Amino acid sequence: MSESFQQRLAAAHRATGELMRAVGSVIVGQQQVVEQVLWGLVAGGHVLLEGNPGLGKTLLVRTLASCLELRFSRIQFTPDLMPSDITGTNVLVMGEAQTHGGRFELHRGPIFGQVVLADEINRATPKTQSALLEAMQEHSVTIAGTRHTLEEPFFVLATENPIEMEGTYPLPEAQLDRFLLKVLVESPGDEDFAQILRRTTGAPQGAPPSVLGQEDVLGLRALCREIEVAEPVLRYAARLVAASDPGSPAAPELVRRSVRFGAGVRGGQSLVLAGKAIALLEGRAQVSFDDLKRAAAPVLRHRILRSFEGEADGITTDRVVAELLKTVETLPAQVAQAAQAS
Amino acid sequence: MADTTTSPQLERSFGRAARKVRGSLLLRRVLTGAAFGLAAGALAAGGLWWWRLGELRPLSAALGLLGAGAGALVAARKRWTDEHVALYLDEKLGNDEAIVTAIGLRSATSEAAEHLKDSAAQLLQKAKLPAPKIADKAQLLAPVGAAAIVWLSLAPLPPAPPDTRPPGVEKVKPGNVKGLERIEALREQKGRSPEDERRLKALADEAKKLRGELAQGMEKREALSRLAKLRDTIAELRSEFGKEQNRQGLEAALGALNEHPELKKAARALGDGDITAFDREMQRLANQAEKEARDSAKHALEEAERAAREKGAQSLADALKEQRDGFDQRSADADALRELAKALEGKLDPEALEDLKEFGQNGDPQAGRRLAEAMGKALGKLSEEERKRLAEQLQKQIEQSPGGAEASPMTREEMRELARRLASPEGQKELEEQLKKLANPEASREAQREGALNDAERGLGEAERGLGMMPLPMSGGPDGAGKPGAGDPGGKPGGGQDQTPGKDGNGSAHHDSGSGNHDGESQKVEAPELRSKANVQRSGVGPMHAATLGRAPARPGDTANQRGTGSLGSVAPGEIGAIEQSEVPEEYREHVGRYFEP
Repeated sequence: MSESFQQRLAAAHRATGELMRAVGSVIVGQQQVVEQVLWGLVAGGHVLLEGNPGLGKTLLVRTLASCLELRFSRIQFTPDLMPSDITGTNVLVMGEAQTHGGRFELHRGPIFGQVVLADEINRATPKTQSALLEAMQEHSVTIAGTRHTLEEPFFVLATENPIEMEGTYPLPEAQLDRFLLKVLVESPGDEDFAQILRRTTGAPQGAPPSVLGQEDVLGLRALCREIEVAEPVLRYAARLVAASDPGSPAAPELVRRSVRFGAGVRGGQSLVLAGKAIALLEGRAQVSFDDLKRAAAPVLRHRILRSFEGEADGITTDRVVAELLKTVETLPAQVAQAAQAS
Repeated sequence: MADTTTSPQLERSFGRAARKVRGSLLLRRVLTGAAFGLAAGALAAGGLWWWRLGELRPLSAALGLLGAGAGALVAARKRWTDEHVALYLDEKLGNDEAIVTAIGLRSATSEAAEHLKDSAAQLLQKAKLPAPKIADKAQLLAPVGAAAIVWLSLAPLPPAPPDTRPPGVEKVKPGNVKGLERIEALREQKGRSPEDERRLKALADEAKKLRGELAQGMEKREALSRLAKLRDTIAELRSEFGKEQNRQGLEAALGALNEHPELKKAARALGDGDITAFDREMQRLANQAEKEARDSAKHALEEAERAAREKGAQSLADALKEQRDGFDQRSADADALRELAKALEGKLDPEALEDLKEFGQNGDPQAGRRLAEAMGKALGKLSEEERKRLAEQLQKQIEQSPGGAEASPMTREEMRELARRLASPEGQKELEEQLKKLANPEASREAQREGALNDAERGLGEAERGLGMMPLPMSGGPDGAGKPGAGDPGGKPGGGQDQTPGKDGNGSAHHDSGSGNHDGESQKVEAPELRSKANVQRSGVGPMHAATLGRAPARPGDTANQRGTGSLGSVAPGEIGAIEQSEVPEEYREHVGRYFEP
């Protein structure tokens, strides 16, 4: 029995490794971004990608979708995009003789894909955004009073552009909370940049191979839930999230001064799930403190709401998370002292 | 019932690792506790050294054991849980929390749990088990503390600090203070006047009150102060003959007495204020057989009394009058003794006859005492006829005796009754008793009063000695010690500072001739010799106040409280070792020395 779990764990480790390599064959650099996207995939959450235009966000999502043998759909968010443009609508279809009247036939929108790219999500109106966010939360859409369950795995990858803020509708905090991770896409380094130029200006390459199918992804998600978390690790996750609340006695001074609202319970859940995903990707059956530390920034950065003072001082949420990681101890004091001394 | 879900392999491996971790922690705390204990022991040893409790210093090392015990106790109270041990092992082995997760899943049966338990057990078996560091910086205190304890235990103790308590605050033990009852005996002493008796009684009451308060507890200085007051009162009660107001009278009386050579010793005793010696001398003169000598002495007393009264020394005149009044009775008693002796002359041994002769010639009271004893023995050997003749002689003595029977040790009626009963052995015994009384005549009232005051002062001195004080020498010391001797022919001076040996062995004081100018406030003294005006009565008993009692080694240049360098410099010779050589009591000496510190 133990052997079986071990085999599944090893298989998952191998599969995710292959997936990483497949994506990496198309995406130059951005290994951390790819990794974090995979955390979201394995943990069953959605990922918000934020980065400047032209950094390969869309390509990454398209490549991932092609590697997963899942239905891919893309929604380009614009201000005039309507909810029905996302969810789909009932269309009146007339009969062949066109005498017996017509019938409504559901034309499914792009939300019915399995890997959905919501490109520049902050350009749509909040009403349209909420249509997507409802599907993300419920994994179902309601069209003309009929609820339609989305096919699993359902994985939304949204992107937003942080520099072109004019005519955009920033996502409200409650909706941001729906995303498991917010991944920052950084500009590539010199070598990666050169590699990008080489690949994109030469002969077009073939599509990456499909690595995982629908069942594989679902299996990974199920296995992720089996990953164990020790009680001290769970307590650490709880302390970390609680310390982000400026009203908490454990909150560091930076949090008290710069944060208006901290990450809530959903933030804690996301942190542990992300930790499990990391453990799974590394082939471990248990979550470590380091897993939580690695997951902290992408999980918490969009859940922490800065205060006016924090914004004025230019305190980023990433800095707040770094401060939390620095101040919240993983080990009890006496254990830490003994470990440090010996 | 054993939990079947646990992994025996994990439990065994983890148990071994936990024992190692906890053992190290225990040892570390024990050693650290012992180190702190030894450090505390060093402080304690330092304190004991400072307080000069030398024998307790090595015991301070026991604090090390106490600290070790405290360390073990702390280790037991802060014993790490399994979770703490597992976290420590994960941290040290870099297991990504595999062990703590497995330990938390001991009772879990999921596939992941089983996998984790197996993995953790294998990790613990393969890995070199870590353990917390036993050594601690604080443990460096252990050798330092131990060395300090050893050093402090062997180091010589510091010198004792000077006693900062003022002297005399300690409580007096009532058993140490004796002699006050001799002052209380003054209650029974007859005084010169009712006022004098009241003062004597008040003095006795004060002594009794002091004795009662001492029994309840009293500071030494308070007791000494009260004793000093008693001493002052006794000094005030002493003969006032030499005081300023009586000075002229005293000198006049002495001049009258000095005109008679046989009264020179009496005059000297009176001049010294030694009333008991004066009384004894009067007794000697009254004992003399020659009537002419007795009349001369009596006449001299009359002249002295008159001279004293003329100069306003009433108390002295009264004392002289008392002596004169009792002179006849004393003479009669001495005559009676002699008559009895003559009656028994045939029965007396040669020594007694020699005593009889001496008693008749110079009235030596000692000779009279020996004579009376010999007569008592002779009475036992009398026959009936002899007793009758003795009775007749007694009758004759009664007839010849002048009318002062009231003061006689034996009244006429008593002697008459004695003569009648002489035939019986009881009568003989009574006669023997009367002989003793004749041989030991009563002193004058003034002499008795002085003697009682002397005794009270001796009691006071005894009380002061009981408190560790050296009694200040005053007049009224033990009889015979330092007083002019009682008259062994050719003997040495009695003692004291009288340096001139007398013809009969009595010391004689040197008196200034007084050649100074008497113009001014001082009145001319009509006296053949001028005596010191000092209102202090010298005592021949002990050394005078401030006299040197002992000698401490000293070097030139020594002062009261500084060691000398070898040269005198500007220091007066009298200052050399003054504190050490002075009569200051030992317990006050350091205090006085500090007072004179520059």
